[in-house]
Amino acid sequence: MCTLSRQRKGSIHELVQMILRERFCHQRLPEKPVGMESQHKHLLELLRRTAVHGESNSVLIVGPRGSGKTMLLNCVLRELLEVKDVNKNVLPVHLNGLLQTDDRIALKEITRQLNLENVVGDKVFGSFAENLAFLLEALKKGDRSSSRPVLFILDEFDLFAHHKNQTLLYNLLDVSQSAQAPVAVIGLTCRLDVLELLEKRVKSRFSHRQIHLLSSLSFIQYLDNVRSQLSLPQDFPDTKFYDEWNDSIKTLCEDQSVVDVLQRHYNSSKDFRSLHLLLMLALSRVSASKPAIKPTDLLEASRVCMVDSKANILHGLSILELCLIIAMKHLNDIYEGEPFNFQMVHNEFKKFLQRKSHSIHNFDKPVVMKAFEHLQQLELIKSMDSSTAKIQKEYQLMKLLLDHSQIMEALQKYPQCPTDVKQWAMSAFG
Amino acid sequence: MFVGLLLSRYLNMSVEGQEAVTTVTPGQYILIEGNDDEYPFVAKLLKFFGDESHKQKKALVQWFLRLSEVPQNKKLLLGRSPHPQEIFYYLGRACDNEINAESILGTVHVRQDNSPPGTKDTLYVKLSWDTKAFNVLDPVLMQDTPASTPPKPALPLFPPCASPTATPVSRGPVRRALPTPDPTVMRRAGSVSDTRATMSAGKRSTLEISANDLLLCLSQEWATLMGVGATKESELIMMDCSCLFPVGSRSYFIYLDVIFVVLLTCLPVLRLHVSSVPESLPCREQEFQDIYNFVESKVMDGTGGCMYISGVPGTGKTATIHEVIRCLQHASDMDEIPTFRFIEINGMKMTDPHQAYVQILQKLTDQKVTADHAAALLEKRFSNPAPKKETTVLLVDELDLLWTRKQNVMYNLFDWPTRRHARLVVLTIANTMDLPERIMINRVASRLGLTRMSFQPYSFKQLQQIITSRLNKVKAFEEDALQLVSRKVAALSGDARRCLDICRRATEICEHSASHPSSTGLVRMSHVMEALDEMFSSSYITAIGCASLQEQLFLRAVIAEFRRLGLEEATFQQVFVQHRALSRVEGLQPISVSEGLAVCQRLGACRLLLLEASRLDMLQRVRLNVSQDDVLYALKAVRD
Repeated sequence: MCTLSRQRKGSIHELVQMILRERFCHQRLPEKPVGMESQHKHLLELLRRTAVHGESNSVLIVGPRGSGKTMLLNCVLRELLEVKDVNKNVLPVHLNGLLQTDDRIALKEITRQLNLENVVGDKVFGSFAENLAFLLEALKKGDRSSSRPVLFILDEFDLFAHHKNQTLLYNLLDVSQSAQAPVAVIGLTCRLDVLELLEKRVKSRFSHRQIHLLSSLSFIQYLDNVRSQLSLPQDFPDTKFYDEWNDSIKTLCEDQSVVDVLQRHYNSSKDFRSLHLLLMLALSRVSASKPAIKPTDLLEASRVCMVDSKANILHGLSILELCLIIAMKHLNDIYEGEPFNFQMVHNEFKKFLQRKSHSIHNFDKPVVMKAFEHLQQLELIKSMDSSTAKIQKEYQLMKLLLDHSQIMEALQKYPQCPTDVKQWAMSAFG
Repeated sequence: MFVGLLLSRYLNMSVEGQEAVTTVTPGQYILIEGNDDEYPFVAKLLKFFGDESHKQKKALVQWFLRLSEVPQNKKLLLGRSPHPQEIFYYLGRACDNEINAESILGTVHVRQDNSPPGTKDTLYVKLSWDTKAFNVLDPVLMQDTPASTPPKPALPLFPPCASPTATPVSRGPVRRALPTPDPTVMRRAGSVSDTRATMSAGKRSTLEISANDLLLCLSQEWATLMGVGATKESELIMMDCSCLFPVGSRSYFIYLDVIFVVLLTCLPVLRLHVSSVPESLPCREQEFQDIYNFVESKVMDGTGGCMYISGVPGTGKTATIHEVIRCLQHASDMDEIPTFRFIEINGMKMTDPHQAYVQILQKLTDQKVTADHAAALLEKRFSNPAPKKETTVLLVDELDLLWTRKQNVMYNLFDWPTRRHARLVVLTIANTMDLPERIMINRVASRLGLTRMSFQPYSFKQLQQIITSRLNKVKAFEEDALQLVSRKVAALSGDARRCLDICRRATEICEHSASHPSSTGLVRMSHVMEALDEMFSSSYITAIGCASLQEQLFLRAVIAEFRRLGLEEATFQQVFVQHRALSRVEGLQPISVSEGLAVCQRLGACRLLLLEASRLDMLQRVRLNVSQDDVLYALKAVRD
């Protein structure tokens, strides 16, 4: 009896993990986009005009990263494709500026997704010029009443503007402004100045419709959002567990320390992706023996999220490398951030050894050099000269890529750091 | 080789055929060298004569056409698929009927009867083609005419053949007195829909119109609006309405009225779409007339020429030329001017300047060849005298993209029209007025010539007129609203596309707010303002307002650091020191360096800040992409 219930519990946890992970990692679309109702309505209306009435259009969706541009578009597409006629007719073409890095590739991809005649299997035949002529011809033959509407979705729209002559954009926008097959060109970008990237004849053909997704989410809404993201859906099979879980989430969100953590995250960014990362880390601690998210889980997750990326590298350095870093810090203080070279750092280090050190032995110069090079490989220091070949290694000018506070924090946490090294680091001017 | 060189009239002439020397005599059917080696031109030889200098031998011929030579859009008139050996007696007059004797390839048998010939070399003729229609051939025409008889009345405009020496080869039909001055031509198409629109405008007040008329009128309107596909829908509504209400009753009219209001609201949106082809092009009458005169005179004379047209985007350059061509094509259909070919290429619609040759050749002859080969073929086509050549009008859009380092594409495009036999008119379009001076080398610019035209950006009055004419007397905008749009666009760019886009958006906004009971259904100032705001307002200020607290703090830190340095540039490291100090002031927990970098990157991604490459880490330099005042204004607005 006991084992049976535990087994069931185990499977329930798997189910919970599955449902929530899908939300956080697989970008599962919410029932309804939150906080962007007017934009949703605008975009839906616009695409409906293309899909149903065959009116060509172009629109840009602009918003910072993680503000829900793709989510909004996908929600709208889902809603649009629910209409049966539309579903059969509309041909969506998805392009991404990071994948289709030039027009040649983009054209092949369009032809492939539209499944035009020159596609066999997964391969597109013909040269770049032929492909372009073919696609334009295909689009030109259509008219608004009889052709199937095509939705061109250009993710990372700004990258398409860097293609040679902006040929693809010109042609897509030109089709959208002439009586050819109905198309909608939807661009997604995070750049606010994207229109300035367009050449003037391309710009003239763009309809200048922009949908801005700038979240003016208040902290209360943010909290609500966290709660709803962590809550289980109503159709969860086990009603008892459903109640328990949702109650625990409710109390979790009222806990002061949790609110503080979330406030910190909210202050830092309103981006949904970073929130999802945080919640994901907290969720991963849920197991059969620990059936709910506790405030400590969230605190721990937040600590992992917020940790300085260089702290761990610093903890892994040898004492010698740490000493070199301290020497560089002093040089920075003395020369007010001017670049230094290995010789200067070595001198500083030798001074320390002669005057103050009790615990550190003298190292040979090649050994110190090796440590210095290691620091360069770790990119804790960076060479300032562009032409590295001409100057001897010892005299190459370097800059430290660490902040004062990062060094001090690392020293505090460094395991068994000799006291004289610590004192040296704290003292002003070496 | 030739008999009687000094005689002005040759009775016989031998031709070097592929295998043997054959002799041709007037009255025989001959093959003449053309563009297509497999299917040479066919004609009946009428007589030989020499030109003024007695150096070249000419021949007077009666042309026959193969179906492949009939214009693509007319082929369907035949109503059946042609026999491969079928040819048509040519009754048109656009083709020169004098040829160089050297271009004769050999003889061929032509029969006139109803059964297709059995042998492969024999052609047969059954119908005649007069550039408009296929007719049954009058057998009289086929009878052997003595060589000296002037050929039929089908060629009335040619001087009598009795004095052939006086006729230069390239001479076209006599040029008629210059053109129909043309507001009428331009409005030709408009008249039909005009009347319809007037009818619909009057509809609301005069409910006395018989219900049937109204129905007809509405369904017509609906049909034109929705395209063919939607006609069924409108019929459905109509049926529906006559079932519900007795025809002619009061409620029936109210119902119709409701439909009409629906129509009124969706009508402007469609008319205002940039793609909808307007019935006429207002405000470009002068440019239209100039281009029309230019092209028409070249077509009439059978000569060639270039014209360069410039203007900022959205000023109607391409549209005007299309309109000119449409009118000219209409005129040639009416037999007022000789027929001509129109081809269009666009620099933006090709991947490489040399593709221009490929596209031109493909549009001219349906051949698909490589760029080099195409260039050679075109060169041959335009430099050699060819019989039956009609004028080609070539439109080159976005000319600046055909620029190559050696400029050979542009050179050829402008050089061909100057050839004696080319009969090529090149119209080029680009955005910049001084393109010839800026990017063309002298020999290219010189060939382009000085026929230039520039399209000025539209003034607000013109824009207003454009919208009004597009709306076609349907009142959809309040007067003030219309003026606001046109003044705004005229001040910005004078781009008609922009103007129409704004109007379209404003109509949409109006439609959505139409649920308010107070609204009149007209687009008002507020709607236009909203549309303008959406399209033109800079989003930077809103973006700063919506940024997270740390992002706003970082912007403040950037400004503080700029003030400290007295420079408009600082490294991340420097800004971060300020940031930390500011967060201490604000009582916030200071953030770690990598978090600070993330904040900085986010601001950089939406271009509020301009950043160096991120591999520079803390040393990357930061600049503002917005003015400091804007940032401070936006941040102040947030705090209030």
